[in-house]
Amino acid sequence: MTATHHTHHHAHAQELSKTDPRVKLIAAKMKKENHKPDALIEILHTAQNAFGFLPKEVLNFIAKELHLPPSRVYSTVTFYHFFSLKSKGEHTCLVCTGTACYVKGAQALLNKIESQFSLKPGQVTADNKLGVQVARCIGACGLAPAVVIDNDVHGKVTEEVIINSINEKIGTI
Amino acid sequence: MNKISVIIDEKKFDVDPQKTILEVCRENGIEILTMCHLKGLMDIGACRLCIVEVEGINRLLSACTTKVAPNMVVKTATDRIKRYQRITTELFFAERNHVCAVCVSNGKCELQNLGYKVELDHIRYPHLFPQCEVDTSHPWYVMDHNRCIMCTRCVRVCNEVEGAHNWDVMNRGHQVRIISDFNTPWGQSTTCTSCGKCLHACPTGAIWPKAIVQGQLEKNPVMVTELVERRKMKL
Repeated sequence: MTATHHTHHHAHAQELSKTDPRVKLIAAKMKKENHKPDALIEILHTAQNAFGFLPKEVLNFIAKELHLPPSRVYSTVTFYHFFSLKSKGEHTCLVCTGTACYVKGAQALLNKIESQFSLKPGQVTADNKLGVQVARCIGACGLAPAVVIDNDVHGKVTEEVIINSINEKIGTI
Repeated sequence: MNKISVIIDEKKFDVDPQKTILEVCRENGIEILTMCHLKGLMDIGACRLCIVEVEGINRLLSACTTKVAPNMVVKTATDRIKRYQRITTELFFAERNHVCAVCVSNGKCELQNLGYKVELDHIRYPHLFPQCEVDTSHPWYVMDHNRCIMCTRCVRVCNEVEGAHNWDVMNRGHQVRIISDFNTPWGQSTTCTSCGKCLHACPTGAIWPKAIVQGQLEKNPVMVTELVERRKMKL
């Protein structure tokens, strides 16, 4: 095989710009870690915080800089649930479906979200404004049913509360 | 080197303490079933077929990753071991879409042979029938995920022997798949050297050369072992 760079066929695939502040942030982190391959997970954290998810161009950049095989980087990203290859949306609504929250009506909340925003867990709206996720247990069982909107935990939520909170975030009121 | 004594299946052996239970058994003609083991590659204890009972330890240990110890008493063929080997084999078959009749490896397949060894006559678990891809993008080779058992011998031979690290594993649980580069088509790999070692390391018909028809595939996993041995001699 020739060592040609893999060509992207995505419509929105873009080359990384060295002047992009997010790229600079990742480059600085890699420099701080002396480009050690063992620092991969820390660097992926930085990248995901900067971009919100891990686009393939970013993974390619990291793999090249750390001299890691692409498959090793992809393997690490797909092993940990924390990392995401797709955009989670500008705002995220995470519904806990752990045992306590489930019993207290997490499914009804998900149904309400689906009917209101046409979103199933794991999906993002077409305008990328809102993404809905589920988690097995966020460890806030005393607050069941619990929902995390962006970084704020909402406890003992009702269908009305959750829709209002989301609307507030995405500004559609 | 000081030798130590171990008892395997009620027979005493004086062995090198650096060796694994599997190595000692293989050298002395005691049969141990394996899938993920390929001599020359690092052992990972993933397939759980080489499990043995060691006196004083409740759980079953994988013979490929357990070193012998002084006065260790090992059993390799108890009913408990056979029961688990049978379960493991059934799960291999239930996990992907194995259809021997149309497979290039038919008659020369390590998975098929394993089925015969454990006297597999039916599978008690529901088949998952996952949607698996067949990657034919490489000019010479094919990767058929339907036939993969995730032994990762291709991953290890590519990394440890060829040094290319084209292959790795993505996801976890039942969604694991072998990937090339960024889960991109094998033919577009930037790391694959097309050396073909993965094909010989693969115990099933998951990786095979194009222009091979049903039942015609000759694999030579020993080639990998010999290559590693020769390199050691050169050093």
